[in-house]
Amino acid sequence: MDTVTYPESKVVRFIEENFIPLRIPSDSKPHPEKFNVKWTPTLVTLSPSGQEHHRTVGFLGVEELISSLLLGLGKYHFENDRFDEALASFRQLLDGYGTSGSAPEAMFLAGVCGYKRSHDPKPLKAAYEKLTAAFPDSEWTKRAYPYRLL
Amino acid sequence: MTATIQWQTGMDEALSLGKKAGKPILLDFFNPN
Repeated sequence: MDTVTYPESKVVRFIEENFIPLRIPSDSKPHPEKFNVKWTPTLVTLSPSGQEHHRTVGFLGVEELISSLLLGLGKYHFENDRFDEALASFRQLLDGYGTSGSAPEAMFLAGVCGYKRSHDPKPLKAAYEKLTAAFPDSEWTKRAYPYRLL
Repeated sequence: MTATIQWQTGMDEALSLGKKAGKPILLDFFNPN
């Protein structure tokens, strides 16, 4: 990450604009044990109250890192009931990084956000249809399977 | 000049900055060796 991903200006800009970046050595105490860190890099999206919202383990290139961070940002808002902000992050991810590993979960959660905002089930069904078309083998497509009936 | 990420190194300070800025924290557990 230090030699390939973090030096990229696009990454620096994205992180500085959207996060407070914090680095902790995996052999220090007490946080690695508290967060049950077993391998590095482990990247965690935390709310300012310390609640975990998203985590990845292992190396990520530029596009995969930014898309994963957008997913974390969206989940941070989603889990705090800020559905408009969450949807904006998921849409940014899907518009800019629609083939990334984070895209299927973002597509699923965008549908849930749409439902949460309106209590209209159409966004859930739309999410299932988009997932089926774009990611037929994704676990998120399977999780959305019941929404086909809405 | 190459830009670099300005990492915080303390949890309490990072959480405090997050509260002030209204931003989440990106916590990177890294291998120092």
